[in-house]
Amino acid sequence: MPSASLLAQSILSGILIGGLYTLLGLGLSLSWRFLQVINLAHFAFVFLAAYLSYQLIGVAGLNPGLALLILLPIFFLIGIALQYLLIRFSVNEFASLLVTFGILVLLETLIQWIWSADFRRLETSYGTASIKIGAIYVPIVECLMFFVAVIVAVVTWAWLKFTYVGKALRASAENPIIAGAYGVNHKRLAYLIAGISGATAAIAGVFIALISTLAPAQVVVWLGVVFAAVILGGLGNPLGLLVASLVIGVSEAITMAVTAPTWAPLVSFTLLIAILILRPHKV
Amino acid sequence: MLEVRALDVSYGDAPALWGISMTVGAGELVAVVGPNGAGKTTLINSIARILPSRGGSIWLDGVEVTALPSQAMCELGVALIPEGRRLFVGMTVEENLEMGCYRPAARLHRVQGMERVYEIFPILKERRRQIAGTLSGGQQQMLAVGRALMARPKLLLVDEPSLGLSPLITQQLFEVLKKIHADGMSMLLIEQNVAIALDIAERVYVVEGGRIVSTGKPKDLLATRHIREAYLGEDVEAGSR
Ligand SMILES: Nc1ncnc2c1ncn2[C@@H]1O[C@H](COP(=O)(O)OP(=O)(O)OP(=O)(O)O)[C@@H](O)[C@H]1O
Ligand SMILES: [Mg+2]
Repeated sequence: MPSASLLAQSILSGILIGGLYTLLGLGLSLSWRFLQVINLAHFAFVFLAAYLSYQLIGVAGLNPGLALLILLPIFFLIGIALQYLLIRFSVNEFASLLVTFGILVLLETLIQWIWSADFRRLETSYGTASIKIGAIYVPIVECLMFFVAVIVAVVTWAWLKFTYVGKALRASAENPIIAGAYGVNHKRLAYLIAGISGATAAIAGVFIALISTLAPAQVVVWLGVVFAAVILGGLGNPLGLLVASLVIGVSEAITMAVTAPTWAPLVSFTLLIAILILRPHKV
Repeated sequence: MLEVRALDVSYGDAPALWGISMTVGAGELVAVVGPNGAGKTTLINSIARILPSRGGSIWLDGVEVTALPSQAMCELGVALIPEGRRLFVGMTVEENLEMGCYRPAARLHRVQGMERVYEIFPILKERRRQIAGTLSGGQQQMLAVGRALMARPKLLLVDEPSLGLSPLITQQLFEVLKKIHADGMSMLLIEQNVAIALDIAERVYVVEGGRIVSTGKPKDLLATRHIREAYLGEDVEAGSR
Protein backbone atom coordinates (compact mmCIF):
# COMPACT_ATOMS: atom_id res chain seq x y z
CA MET A 1 0.00 0.00 0.00
CA PRO A 2 1.45 3.41 -0.97
CA SER A 3 1.82 6.20 1.57
CA ALA A 4 -0.88 8.80 2.02
CA SER A 5 1.15 11.53 0.40
CA LEU A 6 1.98 9.37 -2.60
CA LEU A 7 -1.70 8.57 -2.95
CA ALA A 8 -2.63 12.25 -2.69
CA GLN A 9 0.02 13.09 -5.27
CA SER A 10 -1.43 10.41 -7.56
CA ILE A 11 -4.95 11.67 -7.17
CA LEU A 12 -3.83 15.20 -8.00
CA SER A 13 -2.01 14.06 -11.13
CA GLY A 14 -5.09 11.99 -12.06
CA ILE A 15 -7.27 15.08 -11.79
CA LEU A 16 -4.86 17.13 -13.84
CA ILE A 17 -4.50 14.51 -16.57
CA GLY A 18 -8.32 14.41 -16.59
CA GLY A 19 -8.12 18.01 -17.76
CA LEU A 20 -5.98 16.89 -20.68
CA TYR A 21 -8.42 14.12 -21.56
CA THR A 22 -11.21 16.69 -21.57
CA LEU A 23 -9.32 18.99 -23.92
CA LEU A 24 -8.48 16.06 -26.18
CA GLY A 25 -11.99 14.62 -26.13
CA LEU A 26 -14.07 17.74 -26.61
CA GLY A 27 -13.55 18.06 -30.35
CA LEU A 28 -14.11 14.35 -30.81
CA SER A 29 -17.31 14.41 -28.78
CA LEU A 30 -18.75 17.46 -30.57
CA SER A 31 -18.07 16.24 -34.08
CA TRP A 32 -19.32 12.75 -33.28
CA ARG A 33 -22.61 14.01 -31.87
CA PHE A 34 -23.30 16.97 -34.12
CA LEU A 35 -21.60 16.01 -37.38
CA GLN A 36 -21.82 12.21 -37.19
CA VAL A 37 -18.07 12.25 -37.81
CA ILE A 38 -15.84 10.05 -35.64
CA ASN A 39 -12.79 12.14 -36.16
CA LEU A 40 -9.64 10.13 -35.49
CA ALA A 41 -7.66 12.78 -37.34
CA HIS A 42 -8.36 15.03 -34.36
CA PHE A 43 -5.49 13.34 -32.51
CA ALA A 44 -3.16 14.16 -35.38
CA PHE A 45 -4.43 17.76 -35.37
CA VAL A 46 -3.56 17.93 -31.68
CA PHE A 47 -0.03 16.75 -32.31
CA LEU A 48 0.38 18.98 -35.30
CA ALA A 49 -0.60 21.84 -33.00
CA ALA A 50 1.83 20.55 -30.38
CA TYR A 51 4.72 20.44 -32.84
CA LEU A 52 3.82 23.87 -34.16
CA SER A 53 3.79 25.14 -30.56
CA TYR A 54 7.19 23.56 -30.08
CA GLN A 55 8.32 25.47 -33.14
CA LEU A 56 6.70 28.77 -32.17
CA ILE A 57 7.57 28.71 -28.48
CA GLY A 58 10.80 26.74 -28.43
CA VAL A 59 12.42 27.81 -31.68
CA ALA A 60 10.85 31.22 -32.45
CA GLY A 61 10.71 32.13 -28.75
CA LEU A 62 7.06 33.23 -28.67
CA ASN A 63 5.07 33.35 -25.48
CA PRO A 64 2.66 30.35 -25.24
CA GLY A 65 -0.40 32.58 -25.08
CA LEU A 66 0.59 34.24 -28.31
CA ALA A 67 1.32 30.85 -29.89
CA LEU A 68 -2.18 29.74 -28.91
CA LEU A 69 -3.69 32.87 -30.45
CA ILE A 70 -1.92 32.09 -33.71
CA LEU A 71 -2.86 28.40 -33.69
CA LEU A 72 -6.54 28.80 -32.78
CA PRO A 73 -7.69 30.33 -36.09
CA ILE A 74 -5.42 28.00 -38.08
CA PHE A 75 -6.95 24.91 -36.49
CA PHE A 76 -10.43 26.38 -36.74
CA LEU A 77 -9.84 26.50 -40.49
CA ILE A 78 -8.31 23.02 -40.55
CA GLY A 79 -11.47 21.70 -38.87
CA ILE A 80 -13.60 23.42 -41.49
CA ALA A 81 -11.43 22.10 -44.32
CA LEU A 82 -11.83 18.54 -43.08
CA GLN A 83 -15.58 18.97 -42.82
CA TYR A 84 -15.66 20.38 -46.33
CA LEU A 85 -13.92 17.27 -47.62
CA LEU A 86 -16.21 14.94 -45.70
CA ILE A 87 -19.30 16.70 -47.08
CA ARG A 88 -17.82 16.94 -50.56
CA PHE A 89 -17.38 13.17 -50.67
CA SER A 90 -20.55 12.48 -48.62
CA VAL A 91 -18.74 10.41 -46.02
CA ASN A 92 -21.10 8.71 -43.55
CA GLU A 93 -20.48 8.06 -39.87
CA PHE A 94 -18.78 4.69 -40.26
CA ALA A 95 -16.76 5.70 -43.29
CA SER A 96 -15.61 8.81 -41.43
CA LEU A 97 -13.79 6.50 -39.03
CA LEU A 98 -11.80 5.02 -41.91
CA VAL A 99 -11.23 8.26 -43.78
CA THR A 100 -10.07 10.18 -40.71
CA PHE A 101 -7.86 7.25 -39.71
CA GLY A 102 -6.23 7.61 -43.11
CA ILE A 103 -5.71 11.32 -42.48
CA LEU A 104 -4.27 10.51 -39.06
CA VAL A 105 -1.66 8.20 -40.56
CA LEU A 106 -0.91 10.74 -43.26
CA LEU A 107 -0.38 13.55 -40.77
CA GLU A 108 1.70 11.34 -38.51
CA THR A 109 3.97 10.64 -41.47
CA LEU A 110 4.08 14.33 -42.30
CA ILE A 111 5.05 15.17 -38.72
CA GLN A 112 7.76 12.53 -38.80
CA TRP A 113 9.02 13.88 -42.10
CA ILE A 114 9.25 17.45 -40.82
CA TRP A 115 10.35 16.90 -37.24
CA SER A 116 11.89 13.39 -37.52
CA ALA A 117 11.06 10.47 -35.26
CA ASP A 118 13.31 11.83 -32.49
CA PHE A 119 11.85 12.99 -29.23
CA ARG A 120 11.33 16.74 -29.00
CA ARG A 121 11.15 18.49 -25.70
CA LEU A 122 10.16 22.08 -25.21
CA GLU A 123 12.53 23.45 -22.57
CA THR A 124 11.00 26.40 -20.74
CA SER A 125 11.62 27.86 -17.34
CA TYR A 126 8.02 27.27 -16.28
CA GLY A 127 7.31 23.91 -18.02
CA THR A 128 8.18 21.81 -15.00
CA ALA A 129 7.76 24.45 -12.30
CA SER A 130 5.68 23.42 -9.34
CA ILE A 131 4.75 24.69 -5.94
CA LYS A 132 4.88 22.51 -2.87
CA ILE A 133 1.76 22.37 -0.74
CA GLY A 134 2.33 20.19 2.31
CA ALA A 135 3.93 17.05 0.98
CA ILE A 136 2.44 17.47 -2.47
CA TYR A 137 3.98 19.03 -5.55
CA VAL A 138 1.51 21.00 -7.66
CA PRO A 139 2.73 21.46 -11.25
CA ILE A 140 1.77 24.92 -12.41
CA VAL A 141 1.32 24.45 -16.15
CA GLU A 142 -0.75 21.34 -15.61
CA CYS A 143 -2.94 23.22 -13.16
CA LEU A 144 -3.43 25.92 -15.73
CA MET A 145 -4.30 23.25 -18.29
CA PHE A 146 -6.85 21.82 -15.91
CA PHE A 147 -8.51 25.19 -15.35
CA VAL A 148 -8.56 25.89 -19.05
CA ALA A 149 -10.17 22.48 -19.62
CA VAL A 150 -12.85 23.21 -17.01
CA ILE A 151 -13.55 26.63 -18.47
CA VAL A 152 -13.70 25.36 -22.04
CA ALA A 153 -15.98 22.47 -21.06
CA VAL A 154 -18.32 24.68 -19.05
CA VAL A 155 -18.47 27.41 -21.69
CA THR A 156 -19.16 24.87 -24.44
CA TRP A 157 -21.83 23.23 -22.33
CA ALA A 158 -23.51 26.56 -21.61
CA TRP A 159 -23.27 27.55 -25.25
CA LEU A 160 -24.99 24.33 -26.32
CA LYS A 161 -27.59 24.61 -23.60
CA PHE A 162 -28.59 28.24 -23.63
CA THR A 163 -27.94 29.82 -27.02
CA TYR A 164 -30.10 29.58 -30.11
CA VAL A 165 -27.17 28.15 -32.04
CA GLY A 166 -26.60 25.50 -29.39
CA LYS A 167 -30.25 24.54 -29.38
CA ALA A 168 -30.29 24.47 -33.16
CA LEU A 169 -27.31 22.12 -33.11
CA ARG A 170 -29.06 19.77 -30.71
CA ALA A 171 -32.31 19.92 -32.68
CA SER A 172 -30.45 19.28 -35.88
CA ALA A 173 -28.64 16.30 -34.41
CA GLU A 174 -32.03 14.84 -33.50
CA ASN A 175 -33.93 15.64 -36.64
CA PRO A 176 -32.11 17.63 -39.32
CA ILE A 177 -35.05 17.72 -41.72
CA ILE A 178 -37.55 19.20 -39.30
CA ALA A 179 -34.92 21.53 -37.85
CA GLY A 180 -34.32 22.66 -41.42
CA ALA A 181 -38.03 23.31 -41.89
CA TYR A 182 -37.83 25.65 -38.90
CA GLY A 183 -34.97 27.60 -40.39
CA VAL A 184 -31.88 25.80 -39.14
CA ASN A 185 -29.11 25.86 -41.72
CA HIS A 186 -27.46 22.59 -40.80
CA LYS A 187 -24.54 23.01 -43.17
CA ARG A 188 -23.48 26.36 -41.76
CA LEU A 189 -23.72 25.06 -38.20
CA ALA A 190 -21.77 21.97 -39.21
CA TYR A 191 -18.89 24.14 -40.37
CA LEU A 192 -19.05 26.13 -37.15
CA ILE A 193 -18.86 23.05 -34.93
CA ALA A 194 -16.13 21.55 -37.13
CA GLY A 195 -14.14 24.75 -36.70
CA ILE A 196 -14.65 24.77 -32.95
CA SER A 197 -13.61 21.12 -32.72
CA GLY A 198 -10.50 21.98 -34.67
CA ALA A 199 -9.75 24.94 -32.41
CA THR A 200 -9.88 22.72 -29.31
CA ALA A 201 -7.07 20.67 -30.90
CA ALA A 202 -4.93 23.81 -30.83
CA ILE A 203 -5.58 24.30 -27.10
CA ALA A 204 -4.74 20.68 -26.32
CA GLY A 205 -1.69 20.87 -28.57
CA VAL A 206 -0.15 23.88 -26.84
CA PHE A 207 -0.47 22.23 -23.44
CA ILE A 208 0.90 18.91 -24.65
CA ALA A 209 3.92 20.74 -26.04
CA LEU A 210 4.43 22.41 -22.67
CA ILE A 211 4.07 19.39 -20.42
CA SER A 212 5.16 16.42 -22.46
CA THR A 213 7.84 15.04 -24.74
CA LEU A 214 6.79 14.90 -28.37
CA ALA A 215 7.30 12.03 -30.78
CA PRO A 216 5.26 11.13 -33.86
CA ALA A 217 4.34 7.77 -32.36
CA GLN A 218 2.71 9.60 -29.42
CA VAL A 219 -0.17 10.63 -31.69
CA VAL A 220 -2.22 7.57 -30.82
CA VAL A 221 -1.13 7.16 -27.20
CA TRP A 222 -4.23 8.80 -25.71
CA LEU A 223 -6.67 7.60 -28.35
CA GLY A 224 -8.16 4.73 -26.36
CA VAL A 225 -8.55 6.49 -23.08
CA VAL A 226 -10.02 9.60 -24.69
CA PHE A 227 -12.51 7.50 -26.62
CA ALA A 228 -13.55 5.92 -23.36
CA ALA A 229 -14.02 9.34 -21.76
CA VAL A 230 -16.01 10.66 -24.72
CA ILE A 231 -18.36 7.69 -24.71
CA LEU A 232 -18.71 7.57 -20.93
CA GLY A 233 -19.42 11.30 -20.82
CA GLY A 234 -22.11 11.07 -23.45
CA LEU A 235 -21.61 12.30 -27.01
CA GLY A 236 -21.91 16.06 -27.32
CA ASN A 237 -21.98 16.51 -23.55
CA PRO A 238 -18.97 18.61 -22.44
CA LEU A 239 -19.75 18.41 -18.72
CA GLY A 240 -20.23 14.66 -18.92
CA LEU A 241 -16.91 14.46 -20.70
CA LEU A 242 -15.23 16.49 -17.97
CA VAL A 243 -16.60 14.25 -15.24
CA ALA A 244 -15.75 11.06 -17.13
CA SER A 245 -12.23 12.34 -17.79
CA LEU A 246 -11.70 13.07 -14.12
CA VAL A 247 -13.05 9.67 -13.07
CA ILE A 248 -10.81 7.90 -15.56
CA GLY A 249 -7.78 10.05 -14.77
CA VAL A 250 -8.08 9.52 -11.03
CA SER A 251 -8.84 5.79 -11.30
CA GLU A 252 -5.83 5.34 -13.55
CA ALA A 253 -3.58 7.26 -11.20
CA ILE A 254 -4.71 5.29 -8.17
CA THR A 255 -4.30 2.02 -10.07
CA MET A 256 -0.78 3.03 -11.00
CA ALA A 257 0.08 3.95 -7.43
CA VAL A 258 -1.37 0.80 -5.96
CA THR A 259 -0.28 -1.72 -8.61
CA ALA A 260 1.98 -0.94 -11.55
CA PRO A 261 1.75 1.62 -14.38
CA THR A 262 1.09 -1.14 -16.90
CA TRP A 263 -2.34 -1.75 -15.35
CA ALA A 264 -3.56 1.79 -15.91
CA PRO A 265 -5.01 1.34 -19.41
CA LEU A 266 -7.22 -1.45 -18.11
CA VAL A 267 -9.09 1.00 -15.92
CA SER A 268 -10.68 3.13 -18.59
CA PHE A 269 -11.73 0.16 -20.67
CA THR A 270 -13.10 -1.76 -17.74
CA LEU A 271 -15.17 1.30 -16.88
CA LEU A 272 -16.22 1.73 -20.49
CA ILE A 273 -17.28 -1.86 -20.92
CA ALA A 274 -19.08 -1.88 -17.59
CA ILE A 275 -21.05 1.24 -18.49
CA LEU A 276 -21.83 0.00 -21.99
CA ILE A 277 -23.27 -3.15 -20.49
CA LEU A 278 -25.18 -1.39 -17.75
CA ARG A 279 -26.68 1.44 -19.81
CA PRO A 280 -26.36 0.54 -23.49
CA HIS A 281 -29.16 2.90 -24.56
CA LYS A 282 -27.23 5.95 -23.43
CA VAL A 283 -24.52 5.56 -26.03
CA MET B 1 -51.68 32.38 -50.68
CA LEU B 2 -50.52 28.95 -51.84
CA GLU B 3 -50.76 27.56 -55.33
CA VAL B 4 -49.52 24.17 -56.44
CA ARG B 5 -49.32 23.56 -60.18
CA ALA B 6 -49.03 20.10 -61.74
CA LEU B 7 -46.74 18.82 -58.98
CA ASP B 8 -44.98 15.51 -59.58
CA VAL B 9 -43.08 13.82 -56.76
CA SER B 10 -41.34 10.45 -56.70
CA TYR B 11 -39.38 8.41 -54.21
CA GLY B 12 -36.44 7.29 -56.30
CA ASP B 13 -38.02 5.85 -59.38
CA ALA B 14 -41.39 5.23 -57.76
CA PRO B 15 -43.80 8.07 -58.50
CA ALA B 16 -45.98 9.09 -55.56
CA LEU B 17 -47.80 12.16 -56.91
CA TRP B 18 -48.96 12.85 -60.45
CA GLY B 19 -49.80 16.37 -61.57
CA ILE B 20 -51.30 17.69 -58.37
CA SER B 21 -52.79 21.18 -58.70
CA MET B 22 -54.41 22.93 -55.80
CA THR B 23 -54.73 26.25 -54.02
CA VAL B 24 -55.19 27.61 -50.53
CA GLY B 25 -56.57 31.13 -50.41
CA ALA B 26 -55.62 33.72 -47.80
CA GLY B 27 -57.38 32.88 -44.56
CA GLU B 28 -58.82 29.70 -46.01
CA LEU B 29 -58.88 26.29 -44.35
CA VAL B 30 -58.43 23.58 -46.95
CA ALA B 31 -58.46 19.89 -46.13
CA VAL B 32 -56.90 17.02 -48.05
CA VAL B 33 -58.40 13.62 -47.43
CA GLY B 34 -57.66 10.22 -48.87
CA PRO B 35 -56.85 6.64 -47.94
CA ASN B 36 -53.56 5.36 -46.49
CA GLY B 37 -50.71 5.69 -48.93
CA ALA B 38 -52.60 8.10 -51.17
CA GLY B 39 -49.73 10.61 -51.07
CA LYS B 40 -51.08 13.21 -48.64
CA THR B 41 -47.92 13.36 -46.54
CA THR B 42 -45.86 13.39 -49.69
CA LEU B 43 -47.85 16.41 -50.87
CA ILE B 44 -47.56 18.43 -47.68
CA ASN B 45 -43.85 17.61 -47.20
CA SER B 46 -43.19 18.65 -50.75
CA ILE B 47 -45.01 21.95 -50.18
CA ALA B 48 -42.82 22.50 -47.12
CA ARG B 49 -39.87 21.72 -49.42
CA ILE B 50 -38.49 19.02 -47.15
CA LEU B 51 -39.16 16.67 -50.05
CA PRO B 52 -38.02 17.65 -53.54
CA SER B 53 -40.40 17.54 -56.47
CA ARG B 54 -39.70 16.18 -59.91
CA GLY B 55 -42.01 18.40 -61.90
CA GLY B 56 -44.51 21.23 -61.56
CA SER B 57 -44.25 24.34 -59.43
CA ILE B 58 -45.22 25.80 -56.08
CA TRP B 59 -46.16 29.44 -55.61
CA LEU B 60 -46.54 31.49 -52.47
CA ASP B 61 -48.27 34.86 -52.71
CA GLY B 62 -47.51 34.92 -56.42
CA VAL B 63 -43.81 34.12 -56.00
CA GLU B 64 -42.42 30.85 -57.25
CA VAL B 65 -40.77 28.93 -54.40
CA THR B 66 -40.17 25.60 -56.13
CA ALA B 67 -36.39 25.94 -56.05
CA LEU B 68 -36.14 27.18 -52.47
CA PRO B 69 -34.84 25.12 -49.53
CA SER B 70 -37.08 24.39 -46.56
CA GLN B 71 -35.37 27.10 -44.46
CA ALA B 72 -36.56 29.71 -46.95
CA MET B 73 -40.13 28.41 -46.74
CA CYS B 74 -39.94 28.96 -43.02
CA GLU B 75 -38.70 32.52 -43.60
CA LEU B 76 -41.63 33.09 -45.95
CA GLY B 77 -44.11 32.13 -43.26
CA VAL B 78 -44.92 28.49 -43.90
CA ALA B 79 -44.86 26.26 -40.82
CA LEU B 80 -45.20 22.49 -40.88
CA ILE B 81 -46.78 20.34 -38.21
CA PRO B 82 -45.45 17.06 -39.54
CA GLU B 83 -47.06 13.65 -39.44
CA GLY B 84 -46.19 11.92 -36.18
CA ARG B 85 -45.29 15.33 -34.63
CA ARG B 86 -41.52 14.83 -35.04
CA LEU B 87 -40.67 16.87 -31.97
CA PHE B 88 -37.12 17.28 -30.76
CA VAL B 89 -37.83 14.62 -28.18
CA GLY B 90 -34.57 14.96 -26.27
CA MET B 91 -35.14 18.67 -25.69
CA THR B 92 -37.46 20.39 -23.24
CA VAL B 93 -40.91 21.71 -24.06
CA GLU B 94 -39.61 25.25 -23.93
CA GLU B 95 -36.63 24.46 -26.14
CA ASN B 96 -38.95 22.92 -28.72
CA LEU B 97 -40.96 26.14 -28.73
CA GLU B 98 -37.76 28.13 -29.08
CA MET B 99 -36.81 26.08 -32.10
CA GLY B 100 -40.16 27.11 -33.55
CA CYS B 101 -39.09 30.76 -33.42
CA TYR B 102 -35.54 30.09 -34.60
CA ARG B 103 -35.93 32.23 -37.70
CA PRO B 104 -34.76 35.76 -36.86
CA ALA B 105 -38.03 37.53 -37.62
CA ALA B 106 -39.92 35.20 -35.27
CA ARG B 107 -37.20 35.30 -32.61
CA LEU B 108 -37.99 38.94 -31.93
CA HIS B 109 -41.45 37.85 -30.77
CA ARG B 110 -40.29 34.94 -28.64
CA VAL B 111 -41.89 36.17 -25.43
CA GLN B 112 -45.29 37.07 -26.90
CA GLY B 113 -45.28 33.86 -28.91
CA MET B 114 -44.65 31.76 -25.86
CA GLU B 115 -47.31 33.58 -23.86
CA ARG B 116 -49.80 32.91 -26.62
CA VAL B 117 -48.92 29.22 -26.85
CA TYR B 118 -49.10 28.81 -23.07
CA GLU B 119 -52.46 30.57 -23.08
CA ILE B 120 -53.80 28.13 -25.67
CA PHE B 121 -52.19 25.10 -24.02
CA PRO B 122 -51.75 25.81 -20.28
CA ILE B 123 -50.46 22.26 -19.71
CA LEU B 124 -47.39 23.08 -21.78
CA LYS B 125 -46.56 25.90 -19.41
CA GLU B 126 -46.73 23.55 -16.45
CA ARG B 127 -44.44 21.14 -18.26
CA ARG B 128 -42.13 23.63 -19.88
CA ARG B 129 -38.98 22.17 -18.31
CA GLN B 130 -39.98 18.61 -19.10
CA ILE B 131 -38.29 16.61 -21.88
CA ALA B 132 -40.66 16.55 -24.86
CA GLY B 133 -40.31 12.80 -25.33
CA THR B 134 -41.87 12.19 -21.93
CA LEU B 135 -45.13 14.01 -22.73
CA SER B 136 -48.33 12.12 -23.53
CA GLY B 137 -49.41 11.84 -27.16
CA GLY B 138 -51.93 14.63 -26.85
CA GLN B 139 -49.46 16.95 -25.15
CA GLN B 140 -46.88 16.16 -27.81
CA GLN B 141 -49.34 17.15 -30.50
CA MET B 142 -50.09 20.37 -28.62
CA LEU B 143 -46.38 21.05 -28.52
CA ALA B 144 -46.10 20.38 -32.25
CA VAL B 145 -48.86 22.93 -32.83
CA GLY B 146 -47.22 25.36 -30.41
CA ARG B 147 -43.84 25.00 -32.09
CA ALA B 148 -45.42 25.84 -35.43
CA LEU B 149 -47.25 28.86 -34.00
CA MET B 150 -43.97 30.17 -32.58
CA ALA B 151 -42.78 30.57 -36.18
CA ARG B 152 -45.53 33.20 -36.70
CA PRO B 153 -46.65 31.54 -39.93
CA LYS B 154 -49.07 32.85 -42.52
CA LEU B 155 -49.78 29.34 -43.70
CA LEU B 156 -49.96 26.35 -41.41
CA LEU B 157 -49.43 22.90 -42.89
CA VAL B 158 -50.98 20.30 -40.60
CA ASP B 159 -50.45 16.59 -41.28
CA GLU B 160 -52.84 14.23 -39.49
CA PRO B 161 -52.94 15.89 -36.09
CA SER B 162 -55.35 13.25 -34.80
CA LEU B 163 -52.90 10.40 -35.37
CA GLY B 164 -52.86 8.19 -32.30
CA LEU B 165 -55.04 10.48 -30.20
CA SER B 166 -58.25 9.61 -28.36
CA PRO B 167 -61.49 11.02 -29.79
CA LEU B 168 -61.82 13.45 -26.90
CA ILE B 169 -58.28 14.83 -27.29
CA THR B 170 -58.78 14.96 -31.06
CA GLN B 171 -61.91 17.02 -30.59
CA GLN B 172 -60.15 19.45 -28.24
CA LEU B 173 -57.28 19.79 -30.66
CA PHE B 174 -59.60 20.57 -33.53
CA GLU B 175 -61.32 23.23 -31.44
CA VAL B 176 -57.91 24.88 -31.11
CA LEU B 177 -57.16 24.58 -34.83
CA LYS B 178 -60.57 26.06 -35.60
CA LYS B 179 -59.85 28.96 -33.28
CA ILE B 180 -56.43 29.58 -34.86
CA HIS B 181 -58.08 29.58 -38.25
CA ALA B 182 -60.81 31.92 -37.05
CA ASP B 183 -58.08 34.35 -36.02
CA GLY B 184 -57.08 34.54 -39.67
CA MET B 185 -54.58 31.75 -40.28
CA SER B 186 -54.52 30.05 -43.66
CA MET B 187 -54.36 26.33 -43.19
CA LEU B 188 -53.79 23.20 -45.20
CA LEU B 189 -55.00 20.25 -43.17
CA ILE B 190 -54.51 16.59 -43.87
CA GLU B 191 -56.86 14.33 -42.01
CA GLN B 192 -57.77 10.65 -42.17
CA ASN B 193 -60.89 11.30 -40.18
CA VAL B 194 -63.03 12.52 -43.06
CA ALA B 195 -66.01 13.43 -40.91
CA ILE B 196 -63.91 15.87 -38.89
CA ALA B 197 -62.16 17.21 -41.98
CA LEU B 198 -65.44 17.89 -43.76
CA ASP B 199 -66.79 19.53 -40.65
CA ILE B 200 -63.97 22.02 -40.23
CA ALA B 201 -62.78 22.72 -43.80
CA GLU B 202 -64.04 25.31 -46.25
CA ARG B 203 -62.77 23.37 -49.23
CA VAL B 204 -61.63 19.79 -49.62
CA TYR B 205 -59.42 17.87 -52.04
CA VAL B 206 -59.74 14.12 -52.24
CA VAL B 207 -56.46 12.37 -53.12
CA GLU B 208 -56.30 8.75 -54.20
CA GLY B 209 -53.31 6.94 -55.67
CA GLY B 210 -51.28 10.13 -55.96
CA ARG B 211 -53.93 12.08 -57.90
CA ILE B 212 -56.67 14.49 -56.98
CA VAL B 213 -59.89 12.65 -57.75
CA SER B 214 -62.36 15.26 -56.60
CA THR B 215 -62.61 18.62 -54.98
CA GLY B 216 -65.26 20.97 -53.70
CA LYS B 217 -66.99 22.35 -50.68
CA PRO B 218 -67.72 19.85 -47.91
CA LYS B 219 -71.45 19.94 -48.53
CA ASP B 220 -71.00 19.20 -52.24
CA LEU B 221 -68.69 16.31 -51.50
CA LEU B 222 -71.11 15.00 -48.93
CA ALA B 223 -73.66 14.80 -51.66
CA THR B 224 -71.51 12.52 -53.79
CA ARG B 225 -71.96 8.81 -53.54
CA HIS B 226 -68.22 7.99 -53.73
CA ILE B 227 -67.37 10.06 -50.66
CA ARG B 228 -70.22 8.72 -48.63
CA GLU B 229 -69.48 5.13 -49.48
CA ALA B 230 -65.69 5.15 -49.40
CA TYR B 231 -65.04 7.58 -46.56
CA LEU B 232 -68.09 7.81 -44.37
CA GLY B 233 -68.93 4.14 -44.51
CA GLU B 234 -72.52 4.75 -45.63
CA ASP B 235 -74.30 2.24 -47.78
CA VAL B 236 -75.82 4.59 -50.30
CA GLU B 237 -77.53 1.88 -52.35
CA ALA B 238 -79.64 0.78 -49.43
CA GLY B 239 -79.77 4.32 -48.09
CA SER B 240 -82.72 5.29 -46.03
CA ARG B 241 -83.66 8.41 -47.92
N1 LIG C 1 -39.80 7.59 -47.74
C1 LIG C 1 -40.46 6.90 -48.70
N2 LIG C 1 -39.80 6.16 -49.59
C2 LIG C 1 -40.43 5.47 -50.54
N3 LIG C 1 -41.76 5.49 -50.71
C3 LIG C 1 -42.50 6.21 -49.86
C4 LIG C 1 -41.88 6.97 -48.81
N4 LIG C 1 -42.84 7.61 -48.12
C5 LIG C 1 -44.00 7.27 -48.71
N5 LIG C 1 -43.80 6.44 -49.75
C6 LIG C 1 -44.84 5.89 -50.64
O1 LIG C 1 -45.50 6.97 -51.24
C7 LIG C 1 -46.90 6.76 -51.26
C8 LIG C 1 -47.59 7.90 -50.57
O2 LIG C 1 -47.23 7.92 -49.18
P1 LIG C 1 -47.71 9.03 -48.19
O3 LIG C 1 -46.99 8.82 -46.92
O4 LIG C 1 -47.59 10.34 -48.84
O5 LIG C 1 -49.24 8.66 -48.02
P2 LIG C 1 -50.32 9.26 -47.04
O6 LIG C 1 -51.46 9.63 -47.87
O7 LIG C 1 -49.73 10.31 -46.20
O8 LIG C 1 -50.68 8.01 -46.15
P3 LIG C 1 -51.09 7.92 -44.61
O9 LIG C 1 -52.51 8.23 -44.53
O10 LIG C 1 -50.78 6.50 -44.25
O11 LIG C 1 -50.23 8.88 -43.88
C9 LIG C 1 -47.12 5.41 -50.59
O12 LIG C 1 -47.28 4.46 -51.60
C10 LIG C 1 -45.87 5.15 -49.83
O13 LIG C 1 -45.59 3.78 -49.79
MG1 LIG D 1 -49.48 10.57 -44.22
